[in-house]
Amino acid sequence: MADEDYEMDAGAYEDEPIEPELEEGAEEDVEGENKDEELPDPLLADNEDTEEQKLAQGPRKTSKYMTKYERARILGTRALQISMNAPVMVELEGETDPLEIAMKELRAKKIPFTIRRYLPDGSYEDWGVDELIVEDSWKRQVGGD
Amino acid sequence: MFSEADVLKMGEVQVNVSRFYDQATDNKTTIAHGLLDPRMGPPNKASTCATCHGEFQTCPGHFGYLPLALPVFNVGYISHIVDILKCICKSCSRILLVEEERLDFLKKMRNPKLDHLKKNETFKRVVKRCNAMVGGTRMAVTCSRCGYINGSLKKAGGTVGVIHDRSKVQDNTIKEAVAAISNMKESKTSLSTMLDPQKALKLFKNMLDEDCDLLYLGVRPEKLIISTIPVPPLPIRPSVKVDGGTTSNENDITLRLAEIVRTNAVVNSALSEPVGNKSYLESWEHLQFSVALYINSDVRVPPSFDQPKPMSGLVQRMKGKQGRFRGNLSGKRVEYTGRTVISPDPNLKITEVAIPILMARILTYPERVSHHNIERLRHAVRNGTSKYPGAKHIRKPDGTMMSLSINARKRLADELKFGDVVDRHLIDGDVVLFNRQPSLHRMSIMSHRARIMPWRTLRFNESVCNPYNADFDGDEMNMHVPQTEEARTEALMLMGVQNNLCTPKNGEILVASTQDFLTSSFLITRKDTFYDRASFSLMCCYMGDAMDSLDLPTPAVVKPIELWTGKQLFSVLLRPHADMRVYLNLTLTEKSYTKPSGKRDKPYETMCPNDGYVYIHNSELISGQLGKATLGNGNKDGLYSVLLRDYNSHAAAACMNRLAKLSARWIGNHGFSIGIDDVQPGDNLNDNTHRIISEGNKKCENFILDFNKGKLKLQPGCNAAQTLEAEITGVLNKIRDETGKVCMEKLHWRNSPLIMSQCGSKGSPINISQMIACVGQQSVGGQRAPNGFMDRSLPHFPRKSKTPAAKGFVANSFYSGLTATEFFFHTMGGREGLVDTAVKTADTGYMSRKLMKGLEDLSVYYDNTVRDSSACIVQFTYGGDGRDPSQMEGKAGFPLNFDRLLMKAKATCPADQHKGMSPSEIREMVDERLSMHDMTPEGGCSEDFRKKLKEFIEKYAVTLEITMRAFQPHVGELNDEESRILETVAQSISGITSQQLQVFLDTCIYRYHDKKIDAGTNIGAIGAQSIGEPGTQMTLKTFHFAGVASMNVTLGVPRIKEILNAAKKISTPVITAKLRSNDNLSYAKLVKVQMERTYLGQVAKSIKLVLGLRSASIVISLDKGTIQALQLSIDAYTVKESILKTPKIKLKDHNFKVLDGRKLEIILSSEKSKLYFDLHWLKNRLPTVVVKGIGTIERAVINKKKEQDKFNLLVEGTGLQAVMGMEGINGHETTSNHILEVQSTLGIEAARRSIIKEIQYTMESHGMSIDIRHMMLLADVMTYKGEVLGITRFGIQKMKESVLMLASFEKTSDHLFNASVNGRVDNIEGVSECIIMGIPMQTGTGMIGVKQKVPKLELCHRPDVILS
Repeated sequence: MADEDYEMDAGAYEDEPIEPELEEGAEEDVEGENKDEELPDPLLADNEDTEEQKLAQGPRKTSKYMTKYERARILGTRALQISMNAPVMVELEGETDPLEIAMKELRAKKIPFTIRRYLPDGSYEDWGVDELIVEDSWKRQVGGD
Repeated sequence: MFSEADVLKMGEVQVNVSRFYDQATDNKTTIAHGLLDPRMGPPNKASTCATCHGEFQTCPGHFGYLPLALPVFNVGYISHIVDILKCICKSCSRILLVEEERLDFLKKMRNPKLDHLKKNETFKRVVKRCNAMVGGTRMAVTCSRCGYINGSLKKAGGTVGVIHDRSKVQDNTIKEAVAAISNMKESKTSLSTMLDPQKALKLFKNMLDEDCDLLYLGVRPEKLIISTIPVPPLPIRPSVKVDGGTTSNENDITLRLAEIVRTNAVVNSALSEPVGNKSYLESWEHLQFSVALYINSDVRVPPSFDQPKPMSGLVQRMKGKQGRFRGNLSGKRVEYTGRTVISPDPNLKITEVAIPILMARILTYPERVSHHNIERLRHAVRNGTSKYPGAKHIRKPDGTMMSLSINARKRLADELKFGDVVDRHLIDGDVVLFNRQPSLHRMSIMSHRARIMPWRTLRFNESVCNPYNADFDGDEMNMHVPQTEEARTEALMLMGVQNNLCTPKNGEILVASTQDFLTSSFLITRKDTFYDRASFSLMCCYMGDAMDSLDLPTPAVVKPIELWTGKQLFSVLLRPHADMRVYLNLTLTEKSYTKPSGKRDKPYETMCPNDGYVYIHNSELISGQLGKATLGNGNKDGLYSVLLRDYNSHAAAACMNRLAKLSARWIGNHGFSIGIDDVQPGDNLNDNTHRIISEGNKKCENFILDFNKGKLKLQPGCNAAQTLEAEITGVLNKIRDETGKVCMEKLHWRNSPLIMSQCGSKGSPINISQMIACVGQQSVGGQRAPNGFMDRSLPHFPRKSKTPAAKGFVANSFYSGLTATEFFFHTMGGREGLVDTAVKTADTGYMSRKLMKGLEDLSVYYDNTVRDSSACIVQFTYGGDGRDPSQMEGKAGFPLNFDRLLMKAKATCPADQHKGMSPSEIREMVDERLSMHDMTPEGGCSEDFRKKLKEFIEKYAVTLEITMRAFQPHVGELNDEESRILETVAQSISGITSQQLQVFLDTCIYRYHDKKIDAGTNIGAIGAQSIGEPGTQMTLKTFHFAGVASMNVTLGVPRIKEILNAAKKISTPVITAKLRSNDNLSYAKLVKVQMERTYLGQVAKSIKLVLGLRSASIVISLDKGTIQALQLSIDAYTVKESILKTPKIKLKDHNFKVLDGRKLEIILSSEKSKLYFDLHWLKNRLPTVVVKGIGTIERAVINKKKEQDKFNLLVEGTGLQAVMGMEGINGHETTSNHILEVQSTLGIEAARRSIIKEIQYTMESHGMSIDIRHMMLLADVMTYKGEVLGITRFGIQKMKESVLMLASFEKTSDHLFNASVNGRVDNIEGVSECIIMGIPMQTGTGMIGVKQKVPKLELCHRPDVILS
């Protein structure tokens, strides 16, 4: 099964769809459209695309929960630091695995990192690891007791 | 692109010798200025580079150059060259546009906001304009600047060249030329000339930069023509010595270059001959071909220029699966991997994988020495490479590397310092990635913890077979060892088995108990199983490794001896000891659950006679025999799913581990096997089977008799033969089901196949029935066995026999043995299955690939939008509510299962003394809770969820009201005491306390918010896999029936393919039309007749040619009787209109003469000579004129909806707009399954809905549930550009900007050549581009930046020292 050839390269392609012929009359419309595009975009301020990345204005809007990707990245980075003999910020109880130590630090909110969350417009928000709520999967339970 | 100057600057050496090695030195040394000149890099391991003096390993190689005697076209750019030449004057090199038009286009072209696609479009328009300039015909264009008349240009067929055809040019020079030539012998000479590269180069050089911009050229056009070839460095075309260095094997590229050098020399010498000799032309052409083949060996060259063997060109190195892009850039070969046969080990945890010690000694992990591990690493270093657990190398911070296979290990161990890196052997607990091909979804590669074990196979818990789709019949699997701390953390966090118990396809659990585990659970939890203290304790101990504490429950039977039930064992398994706070609550029905039948209409629930109702209350198994529905994969309410949702993955995983250990050990003692006696039918069973088969045969005989007599009652939309087939197939298929049912009833309860089928571990009733009773009907292509011989399937049967046996019915069982003909039919069916799977794997594989390429870069951003890599919005909120499909608990992708949660809330917070709430109190409390911020859209809650939650509680309150009312006495009043008691009873039946409601609401809302999709999720890739993976399972059942038996609709992989490709022509277009009054059959018939096309020939009594003395005409007389019978509104006038509307019949209004309501005369007014022929032509043509109905539809079928007296129309064919406009059709609710037609008729949003609906329908009819969010995403991707784009080369080209991504998909060379001409820039944002470049991509963990928090320095303000 593993080395079965899925490939449909060359020859097996469907025929190329014929491109619709541009009609003489149709051209006029397109030109009309294009004229509009040449107007400057009112939404785009002049200086906006010059600055590549900057701190987002106003209060932070992104979720206060740490995503699993952030968690993985932070733990990974911190574990790497710890493996390279970085000072550990928590009391150890015999843990030797850098990852385990990193997890312990995260649980104690002692990881000295800031997460820079980039928004799609290029601006970013900074969140300290200690500010973010880590979903502790151990605690999740239903019911009162 | 390089210009000539660039090439010369870059080249280290001129190449002009076609030989490789110096023959003077026995072919030992490379020749100077040859193709293997050492200045282009070291030709072999022994020598060094003559330019940089680097070694074989270190020298990157250097270019050479090869000046061509005459320029040649670059084949890759030939179409661009033609396009440019078309647009410029062949005399003055200016663009062939009038000035104002030129400026207009230029302005458009230079608009910085114009994207690539628009620019290309503009370019095409420019080319078109240039060829159709005013003042010239299509064949000749006059230059508005110099007045030169340009001929038409085209690519030369058969060769690499451009033809300039001026023969049609009306010009004095041409006339002169013609006059001159006419004197010569050859009177017919073509005026078209080859526009040779040199001329083209001259023209290009004269072009203005401004005109280049206009033609969307990113570079000077002269670069499209080669005058100096850069000779690639040696390392990319290595020369391999064979036969002890006497001969060498040269790379194809080198050989191609040698050919060019040789031809070039010929051209050079030809050129040096006296002027006027044109003999160089031939060798020039030869040179052109060799250069073309060097670039792309697929270029078609004249057969005279034959190649002895196929040699690959530069393009061939790039393209295809093994090419540079897909073979080396998008996927690379890696180190630190292992592969071997897999085998099961139920004693391993589900998160573990057993790695053979032999492998562990080879695979290493670079661990940096720190305080925590120095002792362990010292020990490893001392052990060395061959003794486990050892190490292979030590790497010092200064870069030196020491192998540990030498003897100085002890010293090295002592000298080990912090910061050194030790490549140590794999040890227990290391993170490894485990993978099995085909990797169809993300669960095909998961990370496990390593367990080093003896022997030679990779082992893992059987529960994890499912995600890998692995079995142990010789499967091999791969493993990879992540090499950095970051990689292993991410692997563990994101790819760990524990974090992938559920599939994101639909939220069902994928890692769950299988096979033996199910069988033994089924046997253990049987109603009548009791265990004494010894065996119960033993079984409890099976669960763990004697390390966990266990609380023995109170025995179910105390006297005469203490006995425990098997169900109690499961209670222990779920909650081994009282400290474990796992309170599992669930109810579900197993396969064996009996639905109430006969007199009883109240559900059996826990009183089910088959014990099929599983009820677990606070982790105690109250009733039910556990089987696949509870413990198996592929459900959302099973035991593990509930554990996972209510508690966490660890709880579910631990439970799976316990069950695996318990059942493996228990079934080992108990024994479970299958033998011949298991498939021996008893007399009773035999009799039953024979009875069923003979009954079925009889029925079929009757049908055949009826058919032969012509008395068969026809099914709607079928002819007699089809009806017969349908009826017989129905009867025969029923036989197999019935025998299956009989088997399930009559077999002994200890029968092993029966047990396996009941608990769902393996086999179905049909499998059992095939073994024991009857194999059943064999089908080929959805039909009974076809006729391979004349009028019969096999020569053993009489001709035209339609009996069951003659058409592939196998009445024997596998036990009784098949007859020869039966066996043959069985192999026919089996063959079809094999062929089908083989064909479909290729199809679905390609489909998955296309899907992946189309959706790979979509991810969720921090503002909750779904965007592609260039931040183009595809969805504002993922799936409309931003939930993670892998965490959906409810049906049809709903986030929660309220019923279960309420049950759980009630069970975990017992009412006790608390008073129940009244319905109004309930409503009040819910309203209050629902008005809080986290239940508003701003708080991240969808309207739908809020509404559903409210509805659920409302329903509950109503139930409570009804219950309370039911307890009210019909007459009289109750005293306080009585009413209080009644209220308590009502409350205990369907009441709820405020605490319970509070807990329920909080849980619901908390969980809903918890299920939000994380920013950074690569949702596109997940969606692509979720749709692609089920595709592989869609085998065989290609066609299906939709409502009406005769209406076939394409389903399965072909249908999915149609939808994804946005095919213009689909194989079964069906329009579902709703009628204005849908409960009237005659009305439906009327509409149907109106809609179906009727030809004139069908309603005309006669179409006659009337030849009179003075006139000749055609007289059509209509058949009133037929028209009335069909209830059509046709008369002579409408017929006239229809004929007028028919294309190709060019008649005018005055040609017609309506004689009366049913007679029409057509008089032709053509010339006398042609009249007769025209009349005859018309007479033949007229019967096919459509007089009524829609021409594009094939037929319409009236469909009766199930269990209702409602009708709708299923219309086969296209023409949605026409159908919607029909009288009697409700246009609002009329849909088509043709996506493109929906788009053109109803618009893009309707097309999107239609895509979602069609994929969902197709998947559902194959019994596959896929979360609707995936399909929404796919539909959005296909429609977000404003038109329906297929997930094909053409569609993806319009969706994506990146050249690298497109090049790595398909048509590699085209994309690269185009990009270089247009001067495209790739921003390297998408997934493919990042992989090719080897940089992290901006999704998932790569989306964020991590900054070290530097503690703020606190400055101490001390008094100034100096001043004091």
